[in-house]
Amino acid sequence: MLRNPATSELKNWVLPLLTFAAALCPHVASATLGEPELSVQTDSAKFNGSIKVSEHASYRLHEIQLPSGTLLKEFVGADGNVFAVVWSGPRTPDLRQAMGRYFDEFTTAAAKTRHPDHNHLQVQQSDLVVQSSGHMRALSGRAYLPQAIPNGLSLGEIR
Amino acid sequence: MRATRAWRVGLCAAACGLVLSCGGGDSVGTSGTGTTTTTTTTTGSNVASVVVNSGPANNTVNTLFTTVTVCVPGSTTNCQTIDNIQVDTGSYGLRLLAPVVTLSLAVQPAAVGNSLVECTQFADGYSWGPVALVDLQIAGESASSVPVQLIGDSRFPSVPADCSSTGGTEEDTVTAFGANGILGIGVFAQDCGSACVSTAQPATYYGCSSADCTASTVSLANQVQNPVTYFATDNNGSIIVLPTVPEEGAATVTGSLIFGIDTQSNNASGTETVLTVDAESGYLSASFNGSPTPLSKSFIDSGSNAIYFNDSNIQQCTDTDYSGFYCPTTGSLDLTVTLQGVNSVTSVVDFTVESAETLGTNNPTFTAFPTLAGTNPITDSFDFGLSFYYGRRVATALDGKTTSVGTGPYVAF
Repeated sequence: MLRNPATSELKNWVLPLLTFAAALCPHVASATLGEPELSVQTDSAKFNGSIKVSEHASYRLHEIQLPSGTLLKEFVGADGNVFAVVWSGPRTPDLRQAMGRYFDEFTTAAAKTRHPDHNHLQVQQSDLVVQSSGHMRALSGRAYLPQAIPNGLSLGEIR
Repeated sequence: MRATRAWRVGLCAAACGLVLSCGGGDSVGTSGTGTTTTTTTTTGSNVASVVVNSGPANNTVNTLFTTVTVCVPGSTTNCQTIDNIQVDTGSYGLRLLAPVVTLSLAVQPAAVGNSLVECTQFADGYSWGPVALVDLQIAGESASSVPVQLIGDSRFPSVPADCSSTGGTEEDTVTAFGANGILGIGVFAQDCGSACVSTAQPATYYGCSSADCTASTVSLANQVQNPVTYFATDNNGSIIVLPTVPEEGAATVTGSLIFGIDTQSNNASGTETVLTVDAESGYLSASFNGSPTPLSKSFIDSGSNAIYFNDSNIQQCTDTDYSGFYCPTTGSLDLTVTLQGVNSVTSVVDFTVESAETLGTNNPTFTAFPTLAGTNPITDSFDFGLSFYYGRRVATALDGKTTSVGTGPYVAF
């Protein structure tokens, strides 16, 4: 179900193309932070039944069960763009894929951030927040765009 | 540019020398420079000495280290003793930083062919390096042909793209890692488990040639192994015993890592509370501040350097040297949290939080702080790090192994 008209127009030709690309890709494709939810639909096509979509007051939530056992959640705002990704499971997902153009900003900031130990990381930029915690076999985290959080949505709900 | 691991670089420039002079027996002493060293010792062939200090890169606080001896498999002479190995109940398996390893160790083959190399994922980054076998000695315990990881091995310099795509920073040097190695003695026997046996997991194990790497399955036996499972008798778990540390902290702390539970006279279970943990994740549950939903991703972890939890009523430090830690302005805060095991057993734990900035400013050479606490990056977690271990005897029972008080995976204290 696509609400964004622009996205719907693209669906007929882009979706099969992306699906084909995803089939070639060794990783699980996923939607990308800051970009339209179209790529979530790509996952739906590839992993039939492994994606669950639910409507909430201020966002649409896609829950993608990755083959690794990790659950990847993607929060889509009213503008049709992904404003947060959340992961939890035995392994960290491909964050370059999930965070898109924000990934390099994340790793650059992470290198300048103090790491208290191996089990915690908090990156706080004006346009990007990445928070990660856990231990071996159980890692969780989230990345979100603070300026794109829907009005009234508690950060605690992005989990 | 490399981030510092602790709240401040050079934290213990003056204190590190004290470690070498720590004696046995239980004592809290004051040296001539006004820095305290706190010590507790249990004796026995199954007891390794452990110490809290600033580590090999002089940049850690609340980080527990021990010493191991590794040998080329089958050799009793081609051996190397390596200190500054972090003791971590939040991971599984021994990993050594390859630049400190002087032995020539053959790399294991991968199921897909070529050499078995691993991408180890931590919450703050990843480490890359091949798997080799060693004969391991720690205290009086020995383990033959244990698969270990050699992190940052120059034979495999190229990190695959899908490994680095898990984010954070690359931690392949002693400075970046904060230790000469890490001894993962948490509740599981392998670092991946059954998930890696049937499926070549992304960003985990690979078969690597000199040119490239391909994701590989790995049998349970060939995965990097928790060495405790290899010990002849004391193989069902371990116990960390650390002395009580004054609220203001200590320059160094010396304690004991006892192998086995109920296998010797020095590791008997008593009246401790046994909290079983999830057999997939190692998590247990906690409730704090009357939170409406339990903090389901909580854990007890010697590899975490503070107590990490969220309480919006406590002021966070503003000085960037202490970023992420709490700096309550009202002196010390006495708080209470309730842990709940998967077995529904609960335990109420009292703990104290003091300003990280005050602690660090008052005693800049200290490395052990029982009241150090910080914000948890995720909302539904309470992480009982090394602050929690001071003054306690914390047992970690391995998955599926029995003791006189239960069957692992559990944590008891």
